[in-house]
Amino acid sequence: TNISMWWNFGSLLGVCLIAQIATGLFLAMHYCPNTEAAFSSVAHICRDVNYGWILRTMHANGASMFFICIYLHIGRNIYYGSYKLVHTWSIGVLILFATMATAFLGYVLPWGQMSFWGATVITNLLSAVPYIGTILVQWVWGGFAVDNATLTRFFALHFLMPFAIAALAMVHLLFLHQTGSNNPLGLKSDTDKIPFHPYFVTKDIVGFIILFTALSTLSLKEPYLLSDPDNFIPANPLVTPVHIQPELYFMFAYAILRSIPNKLGGVVALVMSIAILFALPAYKSKFTGTQFYPANQLMFWIMTNTVLLLTWIGARPVEDPYIVTGQILTTIYFMYYIITPLTTKHWDQLNK
Amino acid sequence: MGKHFGELAKIRGIIQYRLSPFEQRAFAGAISKGLPNIFVRIRSNIFRVLPPFVVAYLIYDTVEKKHEKLMRKNPKDYENDE
Repeated sequence: TNISMWWNFGSLLGVCLIAQIATGLFLAMHYCPNTEAAFSSVAHICRDVNYGWILRTMHANGASMFFICIYLHIGRNIYYGSYKLVHTWSIGVLILFATMATAFLGYVLPWGQMSFWGATVITNLLSAVPYIGTILVQWVWGGFAVDNATLTRFFALHFLMPFAIAALAMVHLLFLHQTGSNNPLGLKSDTDKIPFHPYFVTKDIVGFIILFTALSTLSLKEPYLLSDPDNFIPANPLVTPVHIQPELYFMFAYAILRSIPNKLGGVVALVMSIAILFALPAYKSKFTGTQFYPANQLMFWIMTNTVLLLTWIGARPVEDPYIVTGQILTTIYFMYYIITPLTTKHWDQLNK
Repeated sequence: MGKHFGELAKIRGIIQYRLSPFEQRAFAGAISKGLPNIFVRIRSNIFRVLPPFVVAYLIYDTVEKKHEKLMRKNPKDYENDE
């Protein structure tokens, strides 16, 4: 019961969080959260502040690395059935929600076209809440539209949330240490434990080096590879960009949101696409994980590709044939969570 | 908090034989056994991992091509123009 490379992502996420807090702190020393100055302050950081350019690119690309690690971490948990550690898993889903919120808030801060319009689109979803929708969204905005009041509070919340994430991460580890980690075979491993130092200290350091290499390559060679060109244009409430889209790591959820023709329905689907993860610990199986369930393994990879295809659809305009493709993929996405436990049960019965 | 070394599990009636780490090569067989094992592991998983990626690529390619076609005017509409 040795744990493989997929178990490195937990510590990598911790490193990502620390890196984001560190770069973010230094960025916050020079950033101005006012609509008059926000865009220019980011340009000032990149051009005048000593090493501001690397702080900015590392922070922006660090967020992408954070999400790559999170999705791989969640994928590992689904594949190997680690969600059976219910408390650890539930805190993990909360961390995912908090991270997504933080990333969304952070993207608004440069006050480019995409920052402003992305914020407008997503905050407008709150108005879909029955009865209190309009007053709720105006309370969040601090006005009748996304404006200075929204920017200042988004900065405050973006600064605050990572510390909430850090606290949640500590609780996450607390619960994990009650039970111990899962492993690729899903077996009880109490008899196989080895000391953390030097084995996993070294293994984690290897992971850090690889992550740091990836982040540095991205930041130094192609810093704007994952960016939207529209964000180089200062926010203008009178000019709507042709294609409003969030960052890559939110695309799959954006595709799910747009697949439902109803506003409230879309918002519910968006929230459920993440919240459905809370349901996973209810799945029962004889063996932990998919190691002994080939059908489930195949479905896992189908699911992975569904999410990849949804990411692609999220980046495409709302035209034929993308619309119906997105709707079919959304259906497949949600069907996975229904078919998987049934397959497992059937497989267990076949092997009685 | 959690289980500690010394309180993990009770094992009775099992004898374990081990070689000291100082009496063996650290990476014994890493390449001679490890390299062929890479191909064994790929072969055993490929029919579960690869097909979804192939199908996904085909879907992507087909839909993108369909979109390109929909963005073009249909030449047959202008056949009898003069």
